Amino acid sequence: MCLAAEASGERQRVTGLPGGDEGLARFRDLTTQQDARLRDELITSHLGLAHQLARRFAGRGEPHDDLVQVASLALVKAIDRFDPERGVQFSTFAAKCVIGELKRHFRDRGWAVRAPRRIQELYLEVGQNIDRLSQELGHPPTVAELAAAIGTTEDAVLEAIEAGRGYRSASLDAPDLNSQTMADSLGSDDARYSHVEDRSVLAGALEALPERDRVIIRLRFIDGLTQSEIADRLGVSQMHISRLLAASLAQLRASFADDRRSLEA
Amino acid sequence: MKRLDMSDRDDRGGGRPEVIALSFPARADLVALARFTAASVGARAGFDVEEIEDLRLAVDELVVSFEAVQAGGTIHLRYTHDAGTVTIECTVEPGLRSHPSEGIAGGELWGGDGELSRQLLDALVDEHGREQRQGRPCVWLRKHRANASA
Repeated sequence: MCLAAEASGERQRVTGLPGGDEGLARFRDLTTQQDARLRDELITSHLGLAHQLARRFAGRGEPHDDLVQVASLALVKAIDRFDPERGVQFSTFAAKCVIGELKRHFRDRGWAVRAPRRIQELYLEVGQNIDRLSQELGHPPTVAELAAAIGTTEDAVLEAIEAGRGYRSASLDAPDLNSQTMADSLGSDDARYSHVEDRSVLAGALEALPERDRVIIRLRFIDGLTQSEIADRLGVSQMHISRLLAASLAQLRASFADDRRSLEA
Repeated sequence: MKRLDMSDRDDRGGGRPEVIALSFPARADLVALARFTAASVGARAGFDVEEIEDLRLAVDELVVSFEAVQAGGTIHLRYTHDAGTVTIECTVEPGLRSHPSEGIAGGELWGGDGELSRQLLDALVDEHGREQRQGRPCVWLRKHRANASA
């Protein structure tokens, strides 16, 4: 059961939409007429299902708003892909799609090293407050300022930051809600950097990394942008850039170690 | 970890320099101690979170770039902060090499002559270097708080 069946039962209560033949008829209309307004209506009327399923995944260290966004995007995709001639209720099909997307979200962005719940929540809170305070103060906050804003101790903030190393960062190639990747927002910069510092050791080492990660390393270590400046450019948080940098450097070191072992073998 | 000795806990750089010493076996899973201490010292020096993130990456680099690091050795770190400046010095007491996977990758894995480490540290901190101290190689770095008085 499941969540799909449960969701199916919930759907009418949440959305007020008719189920059964009448509901399928509207999807048949959408398939044949490609009516944008009907599509919007179907999306709007089923958003309650997305919210409900997002709530089922709450409290696992991911911001609720993010889960709702992931679920909503999956719902839109489900509406576009649904085939009413297959004899399956839309709610059943949609719930399966939404749950799959939420699971993928946790797989890609969950904690690689399990941190206590309080640390996970504090880590998220720290990230949100860094962005907020950076805008309010005009510069990145100090740990003391962060602790005061959150209402916790400086040691707790530091513990959360260190624990963040265990948090998997979404790939730069992971699509956002607009079906764009973060890397897309780099535009032509990648080409601009492709010929920079060709002779540097760092540039050579970057060959071990996925192309998109190279760009962030180049921006930070060759072009000298700060983490915040890179974050602004990519439209992500400074903490996200911090995690990606740390992960990329760890990957580079591992790559060097592998090469060395190969040479010694 | 052999020792974590924090002195003048209440003095956040207003008086004489604070010195914190940390020693731990040269194992990759213990480098988090070095990062955490660096972050803590950076916070006490008034660094903002971005400067602290740079410091954390730099201390990672400092430890793994050390050519003398061998599995079974001991890493000694000395953190000093004074008037918005953090200095971290790293020396290594060599030990008998044990299984390579247990140790921290040395500088020879990281750009041969350490050029790559230098390039990374150039971007992360204000000064860094290598020298001999009491017959042992020492790598060090120094980072100033952005708004620290010169």
